[in-house]
Amino acid sequence: MADLVQTLITALAIGSLYALIALGYTMVYGILKFINFAHSDIVVLGAWISYTLSSKLLPRLGLDPHNPVTPPPIWVAAVVLILSMIICGLIGFVIERLAYKPLRRAPRLNVLITAIGVSLLLQNLGQLNFMFGASPQKMPALLPGWEIATLTFSDGESARSVVINLVDTVIFATSATLMLLLQYLVFRTKLGTAMRAVSFNPDNAALLGIPVDRVVSFTFVLGSALAAAAGFLYVMKYPGMNQPAHTIWVLLGLKAFVAAVIGGIGNVRGAVLGGFVIAFVEQFGAFYISSNYRDVYVFALLIVILLVRPTGLLGSPLREKV
Amino acid sequence: MPRDSTQSPQTRLTPANSGFSGTTGNAWYGLFPLVAGLAMATALQFILPGAAGPYYSRIVIDAGIAIVLAVSLNIVNGMTGQFSIGHAGFMALGGYTAGILTHYGSMLLWGSAGRHGGFLGSGELLFAASCLAGGLISAVAGYVVGLPSLRLRGDYLAIVTLGFGEIMRVILQQTGRVIDDAEKFRSGGLSQLIPPPVGGAVGFDGLPKYTSLFWVYSLVTVTVVVAYRLKVSSPGRAMISVREDEIAAQAMGVDIARQKVMAFVIAAFFAGAAGGMFAHESGVIISPRDAGFQRSFDYVIMTVLGGRGSISGVLIAAAVLTALPEMLRDFEQYRLIVYALLLIMMMLVRPQGLFGIHEIWDLFAPFLRRQQKAAP
Amino acid sequence: MTADSIHSTTQPDSGIVQLAPLLRVSDIGISFGGLKAVQQFSLSLPQSVLYGLIGPNGAGKTTVFNLLTGVYQPDSGKMNLSDISLIGRKPHQITAAGIARTFQNIRLFPSLSVLDNVRLAGQLRSSEGLLHTLLRTSLHHQSEAELKQRAMELLEIFELQHRAHELAGNLSYGHQRRLEIVRALATSPRVLLLDEPAAGLNPQEKRSLAQSIREIRDRFQVAILLIEHDMGLVMDICERIVVLDHGVTICEGTPDVIQNDPQVIAAYLGAAPDSGQNIF
Ligand SMILES: Nc1ncnc2c1ncn2[C@@H]1O[C@H](COP(=O)(O)OP(=O)(O)OP(=O)(O)O)[C@@H](O)[C@H]1O
Ligand SMILES: [Mg+2]
Repeated sequence: MADLVQTLITALAIGSLYALIALGYTMVYGILKFINFAHSDIVVLGAWISYTLSSKLLPRLGLDPHNPVTPPPIWVAAVVLILSMIICGLIGFVIERLAYKPLRRAPRLNVLITAIGVSLLLQNLGQLNFMFGASPQKMPALLPGWEIATLTFSDGESARSVVINLVDTVIFATSATLMLLLQYLVFRTKLGTAMRAVSFNPDNAALLGIPVDRVVSFTFVLGSALAAAAGFLYVMKYPGMNQPAHTIWVLLGLKAFVAAVIGGIGNVRGAVLGGFVIAFVEQFGAFYISSNYRDVYVFALLIVILLVRPTGLLGSPLREKV
Repeated sequence: MPRDSTQSPQTRLTPANSGFSGTTGNAWYGLFPLVAGLAMATALQFILPGAAGPYYSRIVIDAGIAIVLAVSLNIVNGMTGQFSIGHAGFMALGGYTAGILTHYGSMLLWGSAGRHGGFLGSGELLFAASCLAGGLISAVAGYVVGLPSLRLRGDYLAIVTLGFGEIMRVILQQTGRVIDDAEKFRSGGLSQLIPPPVGGAVGFDGLPKYTSLFWVYSLVTVTVVVAYRLKVSSPGRAMISVREDEIAAQAMGVDIARQKVMAFVIAAFFAGAAGGMFAHESGVIISPRDAGFQRSFDYVIMTVLGGRGSISGVLIAAAVLTALPEMLRDFEQYRLIVYALLLIMMMLVRPQGLFGIHEIWDLFAPFLRRQQKAAP
Repeated sequence: MTADSIHSTTQPDSGIVQLAPLLRVSDIGISFGGLKAVQQFSLSLPQSVLYGLIGPNGAGKTTVFNLLTGVYQPDSGKMNLSDISLIGRKPHQITAAGIARTFQNIRLFPSLSVLDNVRLAGQLRSSEGLLHTLLRTSLHHQSEAELKQRAMELLEIFELQHRAHELAGNLSYGHQRRLEIVRALATSPRVLLLDEPAAGLNPQEKRSLAQSIREIRDRFQVAILLIEHDMGLVMDICERIVVLDHGVTICEGTPDVIQNDPQVIAAYLGAAPDSGQNIF
C-alpha cells in the first residue's frame, strides 16, 4: 500500500511535467501541423537557464550556489522560474521567426527536418564552453526540503510511511496552475479563439482578418514558456543536471511528445491526459515490472494506441479531402 | 500478358512484343556492375592499405559503411517519402546478431573466438554469412516497424522509428556479459544465452576483426546496384509514386502499404548487414549507444544533404560527411553545429538536397538521348 | 468473362439499354460529420457508354467518384463491377478491378517524367517482380520494354510523345489535364471516371477534348462517367446524365430530359422551378 501511494505521488509529479511539455508540442502541432522537434531543447534551456540564474543570484544573497546551507527565500525560486520562462519564450519567438516562418507553405517533412536541425543546433550550442559547457552540474536547491505530510501505512506487523515532499507539491501545483491558465486562455479569450481558428484552417482564418503570424508567434512563446517551467521544475526534483546534448533530455521530450500523441495531438486537454497516462504507465511499470525498461513501456503504449486509435484518446478522426 | 482476369482483352493496345531480345537480355549484362564492383573492392583491399596507410584505409572503410547505411535509408526516406529516424536501430540489431554468430560460432567451430583463416578463409566466410544473417534479422524487424507505417502519416512514423531505435538501445543495455571462455561456453547449456551475452552497456567487446575494404565495398556495390535498379524500374517507380502523391498512386493501382513496408524491409536488410561490418571493424566496439538516435540523425543528415532520392548524391554526402570530421578532429565540438546549420539552411534554400532526385549522370541525360535519337 | 460477348451485342451509340450493366451502384451514401455529402446514390453503367454527372458546386459529384474508387467507404449501399463487389476494397484493388479516374485538382506525379507517369499506371498489368528487377533478367527487360512501348503508344494518341521525357510538373495546364487521362487509361480500365477534364481549358481545347473523349470510348471500349460544369460539352457528348444537388439525385435521363427538367433548372439557378429561364 505504501509503495502504491509512493508510486502514485511520483507519477502525479512526473505526469504534470510531461503534460506541461506535451502542451507545447500539441499547440504547435495543432496550428502548424508539424512536430516541433526542438521543443524538448527548450526544456533543456529552461533547466540550464534556471541553473545559470541561480548560480548568479545566490552569491549575491550570501549563499554558496553549490551548496546552500540554509535554503534561499522562496521568492528566489519564483524569480528564477519567471525569468527563465520569459527568456525561453523569447527564444521560442526568435526560432519560429527565423527557422519556421519561411517554411509556412513548404512540405511538412521539410519543416520536420528543419526542426531536427534546430534541435541539434540548440543542443550543441548549449554544450559550448561559453554557454553551459559539456559537463553535468548540480542544481542548487531553491526550495526548502519541507515535508508536507507523512502518511503511515501499517500492514499487521510492520508500518511504513510515505512522505509527501514540498518539491512534488510545488511541481504539481505550479503545473496545475499553468495548465488552468492555458485552458482559460485557449477556450475563454479572444486570443484563444483566434488560435483555434488558425488551427482549424489558417487560410480561412487569414481571410477573416486574424493576424495568423502573430497568433503563431504567440503560440510558440506560450509553448516555450511552459517548457521552461517544466525544465525548472524538473531540475528542482532531479538536481543532477546532465549536459545539454545528453540523451536523457531528448528522452524526456520524446516521452512528452508521446503523451501529446496518445492524448490526441492538437488537443490541449488530450495533452494533459496523455501526460498523466504515460507517467502512470512508466512509474507503475518501473515499480511493478522492472525499472530497466521504463522507456520501453512508454513506446510500447504509443504503438498500441496508434494502431488501435491512430488519432489518440481525445483526437477526432480526420479524412483527407481529395 | 494480362495478369488480371478482370481486364478486358480489347483494351490491349499491342500484341505481346516478341521482337525484343539481344544483348540487353543477356544475363551477363545484369551481372556486370556486380562483377565490376567486386573487382574494385578487391583492388581496394590489396592496393589502398599499402598506398595510403592504415589511417586512411580506416576512413575509407568507415565511409563505405556510412554509404551503405545512408543509401539504404534513402530507399525509405527518399524513394517512398517516409521519414525514418531509427536507422541506427536496424544497424545495431544486425551488428549484434552478426556478432553473436561470429563470436560464439567461432567458439563452437574452432574452439576460440579469435580470427580464423586468411583472406576469404573459413573465418571470413563465417563473417560474411553472419552479416547476411544480421541483415535478415534486421529485415524482419524492418517489417514489424514498417507495419505501423500503414496507418501512420509521415511524422508519426518518425516517432515510431525513433522509438524503435531507443527501445533497441535500452534492451541492449540489459544484456549479459560476453562469455570469453570457449570451453565454458561449449559446456554450458542454452540457458547462458538468456539474457544474450553481448556485453550490456559496455558493448560487445572481443569480436574477431574481419571487416576489410573488400567486404565493405562488396556490400557497397550490392547496395548501390540494388538501390539504382529499384529506382529505374517498375518496383522503384511504384515506391516513388508513394512519395509523390499517395492518393494518386493508389488510384494508379499501387498498393501503397506494400510499397512502404517493402522499402522498410529492404533498407533494414542493408542496415543490418552494414551493422555486421561495423561490429567487426577493428577499433570499434559496438555498444547500445550505436542504436540511439544520434547515430540515426547522422544518416538522416546524409540523405537530406545528398538529395532525397538521389543515390549518387547521398553516396557523396555520406563519404564527405564521414571523411571531413575525421580530418577536422580539432573541431569536433563544432561538427554537429555545422551539420545543424547545414540542415536548416538546406531546407530554406534548397530543400530537395544538393542533387534533388537526380543522379549526377542525369545531368548528361538530355545529351545522351539526343544522340540515341540521331542514330537510326 | 462475359465482357466480350456482351460487348459484341451492343451499339454504344444506339441508346439501347443493355442487358447486364458493367458497373452497378445502389443506394450508396456518406456523410462527413453532420454533412450528408451523398445520399442514396444509384447508377447503372453499361459497357462502353458515356454518361454525365452534373450538379452545382458542392453537390457531391467528386465525393461519388471517391466512393466508387474506394478513397472513401460508403456508409451504406452496394457497388458492383460486373460480379465483383467493390465495398470494402482499397483504392488500388478497385483500380486493378478496372475502374480508373482522373482528379479534379490535377494529381500527377510532378517530379516523375511524363513517360514514367504513364508507365507507372501501366505496370499494374505487367509488373515483373522484385527479383527479376534486381537481377535484370530477360523477363525484366522484356516487360520494361513492353511497358515503355505501350506508354509511348498511348502518349502518341494524345500527342504527348514529344514531351515524354519532361517532368510532368513542367507541362502546361492543358497538357497536364490530358496526361491525367492518358495515365488513367494506361491502367487498362473498363470504367473511366473523368472529374472536370475541361476545367480551365479554352474553347478550342474544349472542343478537341470532347472529340478525344468520344474517341477514347470508341477505341478503348471503356464506359465513361464524366463530371463537367460546361453544360454545352456535357449535353453534346453524353448519352445520359445524372444530376446531383446537395448529395441527392434530382434527375436522371437523356440530355433532352435534363435540359427541360424544372428541378434541375431550379438547382442551378437557385430559383423557383417555373422561373422559365433556360440555362443551357
Ligand atoms: N473529406 C471531406 N471532409 C469533409 N467534408 C467533405 C469532404 N469531402 C467532401 N466534403 C464536402 O462534401 C460536399 C460535396 O463535395 P464534393 O467535392 O463532392 O462536391 P462537388 O460536387 O465535386 O463540387 P465541385 O463542383 O465544386 O467540385 C462539400 O460540401 C464538401 O465540402
Ligand atoms: Mg468536385
